[in-house]
Amino acid sequence: MSSPQKTVMTGNQAVARGFWEAGGLVAASYPGSPTVEVLESLHQFPEVESEFSTNEKVALEVAIGASLAGVRALASMKHVGVNIAADPLMTFTQTPTRGGFVLISGDDPGMNSSQNEQDNRNFARFANMAVLVPSNSQEAKDYTRMALEISEAYHLPMMVQITSRVCHGRCLVVLGERETHRGTPFPREVPNYAMIPPNTFDKQYQMKERLEKLAEGPEMEGLMQLEETPGAATLIITSGLPHHNLKELENLNQPVSILKLGMPFPLPEKKLKALAAQYEKVIVVEELTPFIENQLKVMGIACEGKSLFPFTGELHTETIEVGLMKAGLVKQPAYQSANLKEVNLAESVASSEDAHAREGAVSEEVAGQAVQVPSRPPLFCAGCPHRPVFDILKKSKVMVNNDIGCYSMGLFPPFEASHSLISMGATLGISKGMLKANRQAGRPIPLVSVIGDGTFFHSGMPGMVNLLTGLEPEDNLTILLLDNGTTAMTGGQANAATGGRSETNTQPFVDIPQVLKAMGVADVQVVDQFRYKEASEAINKAIKTPGLSVIITTRPCALHFKIKNPIYQVDPAICIGCRTCIKTNCPPLRMKAYEGYDKLKSSIDPTMCVGCSICAQVCPVNAISRPVDRNKSGSKAGAKEAESLESTEGAGGKKTTPSHGAESLEKEENR
Amino acid sequence: MTTVANPTPINVMLAGIGGQGLVMTTQLICQAAFLEGFDLKSNDVIGLSQRGGMVWGSIRFGDHIHSPNIPPGEGDYLIGLEPLETLRWQHLIKPQGRLLMNTRQVAPTRVQQEQEPYPVEAIEKMQAVRRTHQLDAVAEAMKCGNGKAANTLLVGCLSHWIPISEKSWHQAIDDTYPEKLREVNHKAWRRGRELAAAWE
Repeated sequence: MSSPQKTVMTGNQAVARGFWEAGGLVAASYPGSPTVEVLESLHQFPEVESEFSTNEKVALEVAIGASLAGVRALASMKHVGVNIAADPLMTFTQTPTRGGFVLISGDDPGMNSSQNEQDNRNFARFANMAVLVPSNSQEAKDYTRMALEISEAYHLPMMVQITSRVCHGRCLVVLGERETHRGTPFPREVPNYAMIPPNTFDKQYQMKERLEKLAEGPEMEGLMQLEETPGAATLIITSGLPHHNLKELENLNQPVSILKLGMPFPLPEKKLKALAAQYEKVIVVEELTPFIENQLKVMGIACEGKSLFPFTGELHTETIEVGLMKAGLVKQPAYQSANLKEVNLAESVASSEDAHAREGAVSEEVAGQAVQVPSRPPLFCAGCPHRPVFDILKKSKVMVNNDIGCYSMGLFPPFEASHSLISMGATLGISKGMLKANRQAGRPIPLVSVIGDGTFFHSGMPGMVNLLTGLEPEDNLTILLLDNGTTAMTGGQANAATGGRSETNTQPFVDIPQVLKAMGVADVQVVDQFRYKEASEAINKAIKTPGLSVIITTRPCALHFKIKNPIYQVDPAICIGCRTCIKTNCPPLRMKAYEGYDKLKSSIDPTMCVGCSICAQVCPVNAISRPVDRNKSGSKAGAKEAESLESTEGAGGKKTTPSHGAESLEKEENR
Repeated sequence: MTTVANPTPINVMLAGIGGQGLVMTTQLICQAAFLEGFDLKSNDVIGLSQRGGMVWGSIRFGDHIHSPNIPPGEGDYLIGLEPLETLRWQHLIKPQGRLLMNTRQVAPTRVQQEQEPYPVEAIEKMQAVRRTHQLDAVAEAMKCGNGKAANTLLVGCLSHWIPISEKSWHQAIDDTYPEKLREVNHKAWRRGRELAAAWE
């Protein structure tokens, strides 16, 4: 039976545990899938000072400061977060590391939840860091701990690259005790810790030497797992989760030896050359870029890798099988859906989990006939404050540059209301560039930038300041600042706009209108987007007016703040079946055949409605109302729903509705 | 490579929609398998899909488990929290495997926008040719006190077929849910187990 010191953990939880066991004292992060839960898990340990910082650069700087001060420190972020943090990273890594320093980079092969697929092992090498790659939760814990030990022993900053499957996957983990590491105070060693020339000259050599020393160091023993098979002519070198996926294959037609590398950089050249010399063939099984493969080739070890396996997406067992077939190691594939024919069912419907990104449906065969399985893209929640904003933008047909957050979903049908998305905080700079280009090219049009509160603080503020100069009076930009009081997309982490959102939350917060005023933005309006008509008028007026306008919308995240109000119903006798409400894409809405009516009419699923009123407000014939209101005052006109908000709803932002009801804003726990 | 086969693991797939609490359910099954003394691996989709998109989880348990992924055609059980999502993922399940399907439909955007029909006929055909057990798990869970315990009710159904003791399941519920939700989850689990026993 289970031994008491074992437990089931996700990779993210295990990283947190590893940091705690290693005596870590300071951790910082910016939330981003797949590593959000690392820092959330660290919150449970009172010994660890952990924070979600304003952005990844600041998080990294907090960890750097802690490491300089002598304590074990961790920074965690998603892969693209390292781009934001690259500036301090590339210079910090020149210094001799004091307190153990580990950067957790959450990579996302297959882009389950990311805008790109960059392989941050390359970043580690670029920054002269060593990188450890765990293949499961146990290794996530062990490698985090080991990274801190190596970091101190070699004065070397470390990266742990952990992929989304390993972050979210669970397995058994053996727990350990916590060590104590308090380190020594920051010394006044300017040549080591102030990175200006000539202090930096020696550092180039020191960075190289510490990596070379580690490559031949004793730690390598535990990080190279070799499974030798007598008589094997082929050596497969692998790393991370693909190691376990490879081990599933039981149909190889010849014996192979397997070497799993826990640290793909730096590599022990002498050891690898000696090992490879024993085999006729070396095959590298790794996700994303040919990182190990290219290093081996530079060492002069002949090998195959990306000629057999894809350079993008995850390497599942069945994908590895296909590659090994090409290499002649598999004759009879086991994972090609062979047995499915027996029940006359599908070849493959959701063969990849990115089907949500595909337009339209996936074809499937059930009982011999082709059918369609509709895709299921994510959508705004019932009661989401972004819904009316994108409904208004869609109707206005204006050109919109989007930013990163839940409001990215305004790109999807049926809204398709925004037209570009690049990276965090980028919309403001992009819109400025477009304004200038359009002006210079003689084709000016009004532009809209959409950005949330968290993204504004993260990296939107420099772009905002930059808009204050260099524009001409005729340039027309409307910025919609969607202040929902939380970093919603990643699960509702607090940010600088969260404080004061409920009567029980008295945390200080940054007042966005005041910030904009202090910056010198002249035209700042605050609107409640659940007053649809007012919000629509304000937005459309701003779009028609030249100059720079900022409109801040105030409704908080319906999911995070668990907003639930009395529900709405459709009266089929009034509904004309125009589908204006349906086009808001609210989950409870669906056309329905009512008894006694020939035409389909709208309907609202009472189990899903949270009473936001937007469908009622867009209805042209007032067919949607609340039973509670009808009982009060007879038939209630939908167009007047906005008025009823004042008396019955409490979800206004702190800036406009100070007397909001605490019950509807109570913070959701355990998300 | 050693060619000794794994003692056959049990592969459970979960499929549903972001917001249905699938991650918690994966955790519950993992915890029960752990308490029973099995090795295990699991996977969850976390991220963008949490907002009403398609989500899935996989749990594999047995003597020794390498990969958390269930290759196509290797799954033993599929808990489908929604019919269309059950149809989408049924190809992962062995011909002799079982599908446990919640009948509550949730229309994806293209169905809501009337650009595609909800695939009712294909789902019926799937039920005709596969071992499918269907129930309105939300309605059944509401009878137990809370519709949100629907997933646990389906796990109760699953428990009828898999070698994990009743004791481990109840302990896993206690370990997974906050105190105020435990009673309703125990109740829903028991109800699911009863229903599955009646299906045999």
